[in-house]
Amino acid sequence: MFTIIKFLFLKTTRLALLIAAVAVLSFVLVSNSPIDPVDAYAGAAILNISPEQRDIIAQRWGVDKPPIERFLTWAGQLVQGDFGVSAIFNEPVLDVISKRFITSFWLMALAWSFSGALGFGLGLTAGAWEGSLIDRGIRIYAYTMASTPTFWVGIVLLMVFSVFLSWTPTCCAWPIGMSADQATIWQRLHHLLLPVITLSLIGIAKITLHTREKTIEAMHSDYAIFARAQGESTIGIVLRQAVRNVALPAVTLQFASLGELFGGAVLAEQVFAYPGLGRATVEAGIGGDVPLLLGIVLISTVFVFTGNSVADFIYQLVDPRMRKVAGSSS
Amino acid sequence: MKRIYLFLGVMIPCLLLLATGCDRSEKKAAYQKPKTLTLAVGGEKAEGFDPTLGWGSYGSPLFFSTLLKRDADLNIVPDLATAWKLVDNQLTWIITIRRAVVFSDGSPLSAADVAYTFNTAAAAGGMLDLSNLQRAEAVSDTKVVLRLKQPDITFIQYLITLGIVPARQHDSGFGRHPVGSGPYKLVRWDEGQQMIVAANERYYGGQPFFKRLVFLFAAEDTALAAARAGQIDVLAVSSVMAAQKIPGMKLHVVKSVDNRGLMFPILPNTGKRTPRGLPIGNDVTADIAIRKAVNYAVDRKALVTGVLDGYGRPAFGVADNLPWDNPQIRFKDGDPERAVKILEKAGWVDSNGDGIREKDGKEAEFTILYNVRDRLRQGLAIAVSDMLKPVGIKAVPRGENWDRIKKETHANVVVYGFGGHTPLEMYSLYHSPGPEPMYRNAGFYSNPVVDSYLDQARKAASFAESIPMWKKAQWDGKTGFSVPGDAAWAWLVNLDHTYFINQRLNVGKSQMEPHGHGWPITANIDQWKWN
Repeated sequence: MFTIIKFLFLKTTRLALLIAAVAVLSFVLVSNSPIDPVDAYAGAAILNISPEQRDIIAQRWGVDKPPIERFLTWAGQLVQGDFGVSAIFNEPVLDVISKRFITSFWLMALAWSFSGALGFGLGLTAGAWEGSLIDRGIRIYAYTMASTPTFWVGIVLLMVFSVFLSWTPTCCAWPIGMSADQATIWQRLHHLLLPVITLSLIGIAKITLHTREKTIEAMHSDYAIFARAQGESTIGIVLRQAVRNVALPAVTLQFASLGELFGGAVLAEQVFAYPGLGRATVEAGIGGDVPLLLGIVLISTVFVFTGNSVADFIYQLVDPRMRKVAGSSS
Repeated sequence: MKRIYLFLGVMIPCLLLLATGCDRSEKKAAYQKPKTLTLAVGGEKAEGFDPTLGWGSYGSPLFFSTLLKRDADLNIVPDLATAWKLVDNQLTWIITIRRAVVFSDGSPLSAADVAYTFNTAAAAGGMLDLSNLQRAEAVSDTKVVLRLKQPDITFIQYLITLGIVPARQHDSGFGRHPVGSGPYKLVRWDEGQQMIVAANERYYGGQPFFKRLVFLFAAEDTALAAARAGQIDVLAVSSVMAAQKIPGMKLHVVKSVDNRGLMFPILPNTGKRTPRGLPIGNDVTADIAIRKAVNYAVDRKALVTGVLDGYGRPAFGVADNLPWDNPQIRFKDGDPERAVKILEKAGWVDSNGDGIREKDGKEAEFTILYNVRDRLRQGLAIAVSDMLKPVGIKAVPRGENWDRIKKETHANVVVYGFGGHTPLEMYSLYHSPGPEPMYRNAGFYSNPVVDSYLDQARKAASFAESIPMWKKAQWDGKTGFSVPGDAAWAWLVNLDHTYFINQRLNVGKSQMEPHGHGWPITANIDQWKWN
């Protein structure tokens, strides 16, 4: 019990420090960005906006003040749980994020589970039958996907399945012209299908390759050779000996990939016109919307950090040795 | 798919009705087509649909109505206003509005709402610049008075574009739940995805034919894929995409003043900088001979064919074919001989035989900056550079992002694009600039005669009376900012805006569209119908 409390305490302190560091760093980066939010906002209508009006817009957004003052105001509000108001959406940052997070969440959760399960399975298979035709096939696939950009896969899938075959919808989170509550769960899944497949296809590569390496290592270990000497079949060795040893690095990798998943979702959402957090991030960046961009950065920091902490926690469940180490150090 | 449902939806009740002996509705049903349209023309405003922040200034304000509006030929015609006059040395607008107009929620629209809208927009810090408004006041239920700080006829643009909001419902969340007195009302808005609107049955201007509109907000590729799948009735596409065929759709091409042109720095480089430290001046383009030679040497028709795939027309001024355009500024272009003559007369000769002319030891060379993400502007910059080579001018195209261009704009030639339905743009581009002009007259062009015409135009007693002044600023027979005069810019092309529309759809006569391809086509959406 004490270990768990200590674990949580350490993690929380680290998270607080991390958030502070990320906040400062991203603020410095964003305030040095050359994008002028007022120009980005006005677009071609810029000629009809006098210098006086520019000042009024800058005042509304608070971008007329020096960066340090802006940071302190923002940080002060943040401590009280107020993320500020998004300039381009003209509504509280948390509202903007929460609306979009749910849409993105399902996309990321599904893609993450698929790529994790499939990647692990493929990696085990490839590793167990090292050098076989199936191993080569899996390896070629993994290498290809590891070097393919997400948006490209997305566009290819879109062209094939939505345009030529018309099996999947071309855009959006539910059918065009329908409201969210009119759409059935099947329709929503149907619209999720292609973005999820895109993200999964790419996500599989890394976990497959790592799992494969670890499986090969395990298959050549003393205990595996011993088991084989006792007459265990390859499948038996994989299921009874290798899996537990391979699982640990796979869990680490899968949870560490949450950050990449976030990045991948940004691209996939762009391609499929899927209105999630990824699109909001792009818009915030292009529009120079500092509060929103920082809000998203912070939320995703917490998200990735939580993922990694869960991985740390799962170690202790999966591997008895980790529990001992944690216990003896206390 | 939709059609099958429709077919079944019509046939099954008909059969049932026939069985019960009712044939009247059968006839009616046979002619019925869906009154729903799906459009992918952009137009989503992330901050919401709040006119006081600038929504609706192009195209249809949809949920709102305005005091005045422009018809298909861009004439100013009444909408909410029944009478309007400018009095008190052009400082006061007195506007009478229609009686018995109600918002879509049933509450009455009075002069107080008009006054509220103008006062709020002036202070809101949005895209509308009403800093010239002193105060708006409602003097009765149907009469509103707008007092200005300075006489300015271009203020009429806000009477044309500012949608009237209900004072009572207008709060910080209004943009997400707009309520207005326009032809449509918002049903729902799934941000980043789509917007569904329905006809406002309380609209005073006659019911639109289409009862329900779905606006899809998707990237061009995605929208195109949806159109191919038969899900879209109106689709805005860039002219590069216009050559393809989409089953069931036809190409609809709309002329525009969405122009592209080269801005020349007018001052020589004397090492002067703006207060923010941006360098000013370019010794080559400061010479009027260079500016004129560029204008005459460029073949605008070739640009339209080569760069715009034919979807456009040559541009000679900032407001081609708008009511305040002066037709006398047209000239014969694609004329390298004339360009050469001008250059030689001014002393630009190629003495060292490298193909580039010199004068006083200076090469006739300048950089053309363009937005690197815009393939069209890139194409224009490169094509112009090629056209200038034979006359001995070296123009080097260079792609940059806007923030970089902004820093170099006072010292380099830049490809810009403007084009709005207000002559205020002309004033911003050609009136003597302030110390830190940014995009407003970035070349520091200044001509006291032009200034005086532009000032007189703004002080005119009516919009009609301002038009001759706008025309004279371009060219009065002796001077002006256009090519016969000072040749402050080299305007190149006006784009055509290309749309794919359902073959059966009748969109009537489209307005000459402003800068911004997509939403402007909705300007007359309440008159669209099936053929």
